[in-house]
Amino acid sequence: MAPSSPINTASQPPSTAENDIQPFFVLHKASHRRKDRTPVRQGKYRKRNEVSPELPQSSKKGEESTNEECDRRFCQQMQIEAFDIVWTKIESTIKDVLRDLNASVFNNIQQWVLEGYNTTRLVGEPSIAEATRSFPVLNNTTPGKLYTALVITRNIEFVDDIVTFEELGIFLKSHGCHVAMLSSMEFSLKNGIAGCLKALLREFLGGSFDQSADLSTLASWYREQDNYNKPLVLIVNDLERCCGSVLTDFILMLSEWVVKVPIILIFGVATTVDAPRNIFPSHALECLCPSTFMLVTPAERMDAIVVEVLVKHCTTFNIGHKVAQLLRNYFINQDGTVTSFIRALKVACLLHFSMEPLSLIHGRILVEDQDAKSGLSPETMSKYMDELPSYARNKMVDQTNKSMAEGLSELVTVQKLWSTVVLCLYEAGKYSRVRLLDLFCEALNQVLYPSRDSVCHTRDEKDHGLPSTNDPCQQYSILQSGGFICQIARRVRDLPPGKLDQLIDSWEKITADISEIHEKLKILQSSVSFKDGKSSRRSSKDISKRSVSKIIDKESRLSNLQAIAFLDDLVRNYLKPIEGMPFHEIFCFNNVEKLQLVLIGDPRRRIQVDLLDFHDILGCSCCNKSGKALLPSMHDSSIMYSLAQEHGDLINLHDWFQSFRTIVLQNTNKRKQKSKNTPSSKKRKEMNESGDQNEASIQARFCRGVTELQITGLVRMPSKRRPDFVQRIAFGI
Amino acid sequence: MNNNDNWEEDEEDDEEDMEFSRNYFLAKELTSSVKKSKHKITDIDVVDEQELRDASLQIQPKHENEIAVLMDSYTSMYPEWLLSLRCGFALLMYGFGSKKALIEDFASTTLTEYSVVVINGYLQAINLKQVLIALAELLCDQLKAKRKVSGRQPFNTQSMEDLLTFLYEAEVEDTDSFVCVVIHNIDGPGLRDSETQQYLARLASCTHIRIVASIDHVNAPLFWDKNMAHTQFNWCWYHVPTFAPYKVEGMFYPLILAHGSASQSVKTAAIVLQSLTPNAQSVFKVLAEYQISHPDEGMPISDLYSVCRERFLVSNQVTLNSHLTEFKDHELVKTKRQSDGQDCLHIPLTTDALQKVLLEIS
Repeated sequence: MAPSSPINTASQPPSTAENDIQPFFVLHKASHRRKDRTPVRQGKYRKRNEVSPELPQSSKKGEESTNEECDRRFCQQMQIEAFDIVWTKIESTIKDVLRDLNASVFNNIQQWVLEGYNTTRLVGEPSIAEATRSFPVLNNTTPGKLYTALVITRNIEFVDDIVTFEELGIFLKSHGCHVAMLSSMEFSLKNGIAGCLKALLREFLGGSFDQSADLSTLASWYREQDNYNKPLVLIVNDLERCCGSVLTDFILMLSEWVVKVPIILIFGVATTVDAPRNIFPSHALECLCPSTFMLVTPAERMDAIVVEVLVKHCTTFNIGHKVAQLLRNYFINQDGTVTSFIRALKVACLLHFSMEPLSLIHGRILVEDQDAKSGLSPETMSKYMDELPSYARNKMVDQTNKSMAEGLSELVTVQKLWSTVVLCLYEAGKYSRVRLLDLFCEALNQVLYPSRDSVCHTRDEKDHGLPSTNDPCQQYSILQSGGFICQIARRVRDLPPGKLDQLIDSWEKITADISEIHEKLKILQSSVSFKDGKSSRRSSKDISKRSVSKIIDKESRLSNLQAIAFLDDLVRNYLKPIEGMPFHEIFCFNNVEKLQLVLIGDPRRRIQVDLLDFHDILGCSCCNKSGKALLPSMHDSSIMYSLAQEHGDLINLHDWFQSFRTIVLQNTNKRKQKSKNTPSSKKRKEMNESGDQNEASIQARFCRGVTELQITGLVRMPSKRRPDFVQRIAFGI
Repeated sequence: MNNNDNWEEDEEDDEEDMEFSRNYFLAKELTSSVKKSKHKITDIDVVDEQELRDASLQIQPKHENEIAVLMDSYTSMYPEWLLSLRCGFALLMYGFGSKKALIEDFASTTLTEYSVVVINGYLQAINLKQVLIALAELLCDQLKAKRKVSGRQPFNTQSMEDLLTFLYEAEVEDTDSFVCVVIHNIDGPGLRDSETQQYLARLASCTHIRIVASIDHVNAPLFWDKNMAHTQFNWCWYHVPTFAPYKVEGMFYPLILAHGSASQSVKTAAIVLQSLTPNAQSVFKVLAEYQISHPDEGMPISDLYSVCRERFLVSNQVTLNSHLTEFKDHELVKTKRQSDGQDCLHIPLTTDALQKVLLEIS
C-alpha cells in the first residue's frame, strides 16, 4: 500500500468537482473485505517474526505489503480488544461507584414517589365512566396538586448530572414506575406546549400514537391493564434551562389531569431551592407540592472515582505524574466536570494502547488468560522489552536472573503497596481537607521520591523501632518535605486522641490484606493502646488534676508522634511512584504532550501560529533567508496575516493591499523601497510599470488571502458603515 | 513543591491573560492614536471583475512540493485515526489550509471497510434530513445483510426524531461496524445554527455512526456545550495544517475587491440554485423569465405568487416567502419599491448572465 499523496487525488477528476458542490454524497459503501479478515489474520500470525513489526514503509513489493497490512490490521485488532477490556472494566467500576454514591438518595426518592402516588390516588379514584371521558376530571374547584421533587444537583455543570438522572430513571423503572425523561430542549418556545406533549407521549407510549393524540390518549393508555396501578414519573433534568412559560402551561395542564393521570414530577435543580419560584408564576407554584433531595457534590464523586480507578487500580492501567497533573489542572482550573475527567482518562487509555506496543498485555492480564493466545510471541515481546528505557536502566543491576515475569509481578506488588499508602494518607488527609487529586499527583511525583529516600538513608539506624519521647518532630522527613503529604502529617500531629483512634481504625481496614503494612500498624496500635491504658491507670493514682491533664496531653502527643512515625515509614518505604519501576511503560501512560494535543484542541492559538510560523511546519528552503522579514515567496495568507499584526483593530483595506503588493513585488523591484508600510502613489506608479501584467493576479491573490483569513475567522468583512476597513478579531496568540 | 508548581502555572496563565488583554487594548489604542487611514478601497485600480475572477482561478500555488510532503507525512497517522474511530471517538481536524483532500484521502484509503458519507459543510444550504435518510438506508443495508427488517415505514416519510431514534437504536451484530460521516467544515455556513449542531451531536452519539469533521474558524468550539463536546461528539483533536488553498471552501465568499455584491457571478448563482429544491429553482425560473422579457422593471410579488400558483409550484404565500427569503439570503433576489409603492423583485444579474444561469440549472 504505497501511500499516495492526497494532493494527487485532489487534482480534481470531473466526478470530484461535481461532488464538491453536492450538499452530501456517499463516498463509498462498506466493502465486503472485512468478512474474510479473520482467517487471514490467523494465517498470518505465525509469520509475525519474519515481518518487521514496525509501521509499514512504502514497500513496493505487493506480497510484502499485504503481509504488513495484515500484520498491522491484526495489531490494531489486538489494540482494540485490549482497550475494550480495560475501558469496559474502568467504565463499569465508575458506574458502580456512582451508583453507590447515589443509592441512598435514589431510595429516598423512590419511597417518596410511592407516598406521593398513594396520596394522589386517594384524592379520588375516577369511576370507569369518568375515566373514559376525553376531558379531565374536576370534582373539586381547586386543581390537583402535583408531587414535585426538586433534586438539587449542587453542580452548575449539568453534563455530570445527565447520567445521574438517566440512572435515576432506570432505578425507578426497575421499581415499577413508568418513567419519562424530557430535557430542556423540549421545553423551548419554538417547540411549544404541543411539542412537549408529543415528547411526553413518545416517552410513555413509544412511537405508536397518531398525530392528534393528547392527554386523554395518555389517560386511556394508563387505564390499560398492564399500565394501571403504577406511578407515572416525569424527569426533567435541567429545570433552569427550560422556558418558563412553556413549562408553566405544561404544569397547569398536567394538574388538571392529575386525577386521571397521576403524574409525579422530578426536576433537576442546579442552583438553589428558590429556582422554581424564579421560574413559575404563583398560580403554577400552587399546583406543585415540592420536596427537596440533595445529590452528592462533584468533588465527592471525583474523589470516589479517583480512589477506585486510579488509586485502587481496578485495572492495570495507570497514569504517570505529568498526566495526573494535567488531569488535575484541567479538572480544577478549566473544565470542572467529572465527565470531562473521565473522558480525558479514556483518551489517555486509547493513546496508551495505540502508542505502546506492549500495553497489549493489559487485556490478557485482566482476563487472566495467560496462554499464548496473544499474537505477540515471547520473542517479540522480549524484543520490545529490551527497547523499554526503564528496563535498560535496570539491566545492569540484575541482568542475569530477573525474568520479565518477576519484574512484572514485582511491579504489581509495589503498586499494591503504593495504593495502600495513598489510601492511608487520604484517610488522614480528610482531617486537613487535602484534595485527593492533589495528594495523588504528589504521590506519583518521582522527583520527590529520591529525596524521601535519601533522608531515609542518612537516618537509617533511627528507623528501626519507634522513636523515643524526647525526639523532636523535625526528625521526620515527612514533616519537612513540604507539599500535601507534609500538610497531612502536620494535621495528624495535632489530632485530638478520639479522632486519632478513629483514624487508626480506618487504617486497619485499609491495610487488612497487606500483611507488610498491617504488621507495622499492629505495632502502632499496640503501643498506642498500651500508652492509653498506662495513662488511665496512672491518672487514677495521681491527685493533681492539672498534672493529669498534662500527662494525658503528653501521652496523646506521643501517640500522635507514633502515628507520624508510621506514616513516615510508609511514605519512605512504600510510596514508590510507578514511573521509577522497570516495565512501568507497559502499564503507565505518561505522554502528556500527546494527550494534551488530542484532548484539548486549541484552534484559536494554533491556527494563528500556523500562519505566522508556517515555515516551521513546511520547512521550505525559500523562506528562511532573512529572519523575520516578509518575503514574496511566503504563503500569501501568511504575508497578509503578518501585515495585519501591524494594524489596530481595524485594517484599512487599501493600505493592507498596498503593503501586500509591495511585499510580493519585492523581487521585481530589486528591493528598492525600504519601508513596506508607506505606499505612495509615486511608488505605485513605478511598480505598475514593472508588473502590469501581474496586477490582476496580485489583486486576485489579495482577494483570496482575505477570503482565507475570513474562513479562519481571523478577520471580519467590512460593514456598511465602514466599507474600507476589515476588522481584526484575534489579538495576540 | 507541588504548590509552587501550581502557582507558577497559574502565574503563567495569568500572564497569558494579561498579554491577551494588553494586546487588545494596544490594538484599540493604535486605532485612536494613529490617525485613521483615510484611504478608500476605491483608490485601488481594480481590474475588471471578470479578469479578477479569471486571475483568481490561475493563482500559482506556492510550496507545492513541501505541501505534498506534509500531506504525505500525515498518512502515517491514518492507523491512529482509524483506531480512535474504532474505539468510539470522533476526529476533529483543524489547522490552516483546506483539509478536504486529506480527509477524503484518509476515508478512501483507510476506511474502505466502512461506508462513508461526505457532507460538504462549506455549502450554503444543507438538508440534514436528506443526510439522515441516506445514513439510515446505509445502516439498514447492513442490518439487512444479517437480519431482514420488515414492515418499516419508508425513511423519507419519517420525521427527524424517528430517523435519529432509528439510527440510535439500530443494532448491528458486528460491533465494529459503523457508517463514517465526513463533515467538511462542520463550522460552515450551512451547519452553523445551533439546531443543526444539536442534531449533528445527537447523530454523533449513535452507536454505529462515527464523525470525522474539520473546522477552520478559530472560534468554532464555541458551538458546543460541554455535553455536546465531551459526551456526544467525543472529539479527538488533530492539528493537521495543510496550507492547501481553500478552493471550494472559498467559492462562496465574495471577492473583496470586486465592487458590490450586485455582480453575482453566474457560477455562484448556479451553484446556490442547484443546492435548492426543484420547486425553489422553478420559482426562480419564473422570476428570471419575467426579468428577461421585461428587462427594465421588477416583478411584483403578487404577480409572482399567482404565476407560481398556476404552475403548482407553491400552494400558499408562506411557502413562496420562504423561497424568497432563501433567495434574498444568497443575494439572488433584491426588492425594490417602485414609484407606485409596490414592492418589486429583481435579480441582480445582467440578462446575459441570467440566461446562462437558466441554462446551467435546467
